[in-house]
Amino acid sequence: MIDATEAVGFGRALRSAGLDVEMRRVAAFREATGRVRSDDLYWAGRSTLVSRRDELAVYDRVFATYFRGAPEERRAGLAVPVRRRVTGIGSAAPGSAEPGPRSQVAAASSVEVLRRKSFADCTPAELAAVHRLLARLRLLAPTRRTRRRRIARRGEPDLRRTLRRAFRTGAEPVEVVWRTRRRRPRRIVFLLDVSGSMAAYSRALVLFAHAAVRADRRFEVFAFGTRLTRLTPALDTLRLDAALSRATAAVADWEGGTRIGDSLRAFLDGFGHPGLARGAVVVVCSDGLEVGDPMLVGEQMRRLRRLAHRVVWINPLKASPGYEPLARGMAAALPHVDVFASGHNLDSLAEVARAIESAGLRRARA
Amino acid sequence: MTRFEDPESLAVALRSESYLADHGLSVALYLALTMGRPLLLEGEPGVGKTEVARALARVLDARLIRLQCYEGIDAAQAIYEWDYARQLLYARLLQSGELNAEAAIHRLYDEPFLQERPLLAAIRAGSRAVLLVDELDRADDEFEAFLLEALSDFAVTIPELGTVRSDDGSSPVVILTSNRTRELHDALKRRCFYHWIDFPSEEREAEIVMLHVPEAGERLSRSVASSIARLRGLELVKPPGAAEAIDWAGALSRLGFDEVTEAGAEATLGLAIKNRDDLDVVTARLSEIAR
Repeated sequence: MIDATEAVGFGRALRSAGLDVEMRRVAAFREATGRVRSDDLYWAGRSTLVSRRDELAVYDRVFATYFRGAPEERRAGLAVPVRRRVTGIGSAAPGSAEPGPRSQVAAASSVEVLRRKSFADCTPAELAAVHRLLARLRLLAPTRRTRRRRIARRGEPDLRRTLRRAFRTGAEPVEVVWRTRRRRPRRIVFLLDVSGSMAAYSRALVLFAHAAVRADRRFEVFAFGTRLTRLTPALDTLRLDAALSRATAAVADWEGGTRIGDSLRAFLDGFGHPGLARGAVVVVCSDGLEVGDPMLVGEQMRRLRRLAHRVVWINPLKASPGYEPLARGMAAALPHVDVFASGHNLDSLAEVARAIESAGLRRARA
Repeated sequence: MTRFEDPESLAVALRSESYLADHGLSVALYLALTMGRPLLLEGEPGVGKTEVARALARVLDARLIRLQCYEGIDAAQAIYEWDYARQLLYARLLQSGELNAEAAIHRLYDEPFLQERPLLAAIRAGSRAVLLVDELDRADDEFEAFLLEALSDFAVTIPELGTVRSDDGSSPVVILTSNRTRELHDALKRRCFYHWIDFPSEEREAEIVMLHVPEAGERLSRSVASSIARLRGLELVKPPGAAEAIDWAGALSRLGFDEVTEAGAEATLGLAIKNRDDLDVVTARLSEIAR
């Protein structure tokens, strides 16, 4: 069995690398090392201290450094997120974020103006106000039948309750109780384009997604530019500024290029196909400016469409007068989209929310 | 229960039950067994997550109790349910005076009317059972919560009967599998040891095929293993797992092939590749796959 200080030290090293290692695990690890040969130290730790596949790489790295004295490699993993400052959003007091004439404009904007103002033109203080309004925006997902049942006026007989009631009437089942399948909201999955061309909108869209995730914990958020990042864990906090800074830290290619096709494929292979997109409402927020192969976008969108219940595409450019989906990625994706909306300001996001809610009712094929 | 001295002897025992566990997996299983903790297994579909539990049950000479999870699974399907139709019949016999009411009334909620479901069966059997909780990620949060409760003290309370646990106070060996469609709760993961099962190496895969399809012979087994390895390199939607390799080798051997040829592969590709898009990709590159 390894030394207690050594075990605790290893636990601490893993913790600071981003793994969720509490004392009980360390104790289990130490006990495990006493049960196997010393050259199985690696496996003893791997079985007891890790609980997710994506932690394995971090474990390997920390193990190598801690037990073999290898110099730590600087790799972007869970451990060393690239921290960047989030411009102004989250500083609650308007005016303090950005002194000068612009803040006066912010103070003057009434809710009405804010509703129709494009996110691209909003000051940070205004965006903070937008978030407060977004939090009030209720996002209701269309429902589906589940396998759980509840008591109902009609449906199938509920034997358990019928029997219970039969005891009141001398074991004669006079009153039959019925039950029916319960309905539950479908999962909503957001895929947010955070590439450079979407920079003006991506933060507002993250806020939109954050408001949605707060409303229902089964919702999922992913960000993509050149590669895919799962944002859901980062947004799992009530505090807006914390959510934003964690999201910023999680995404490595914030404001880079866009590879929609590759990102969609990464999403479908890693998450969507195994079950996350199945029967869900998938909301893609992107301007469709693809640097990769538009054929791939079409292909992957077709896959997505077959898995998902409905596919919604939010494209802020749609709001500009005379817009036509000429971007090659957008043109390739459009045949596989159920609802196409702009979502460039609060009003249109509210519209999107309504579109998502009614997406269960009819399928508006493009 | 059979006791094992070290991970190696466990691996040898598993091998005699036609399961080839790599070293990491045998260590994880050994630790889970000796420290009495559930083991959470993850890995691509078809790497043999479920098969581990089956082989382990045979090795331990224990009963395999499988709880297949699905969305909306609840206590009535996982733990127990009363047999309402029989209860009702019984109650009516009671009513018509054909039974001694005093004695009979207590029996209405007793063993004969209890329908045991997997979790209760496993808890009662204690160490004589291996409980396989399959595809836990398909169940919902609520179910996970009460599974956690049941796995914490290996006891179930039935209001009409009292608390049920195993006769000798032992607990079953628990294997959980997940396909990662959903993140499991931290509380549950904390209770479990964890192992990620990778696709087997080409060499090991050939061994697995030979073990399961002895009639395929070494030549065909190796050829299938290397074709499968090439298929996995193609970025398919559903890369073939060990189960597919075994089926494929079986089919090829039945058709009289002693290696993967283009013609043979074309005729039997459906056993290895089970997605329409993937079929198109692979068919176009058949000559590379069958080499």
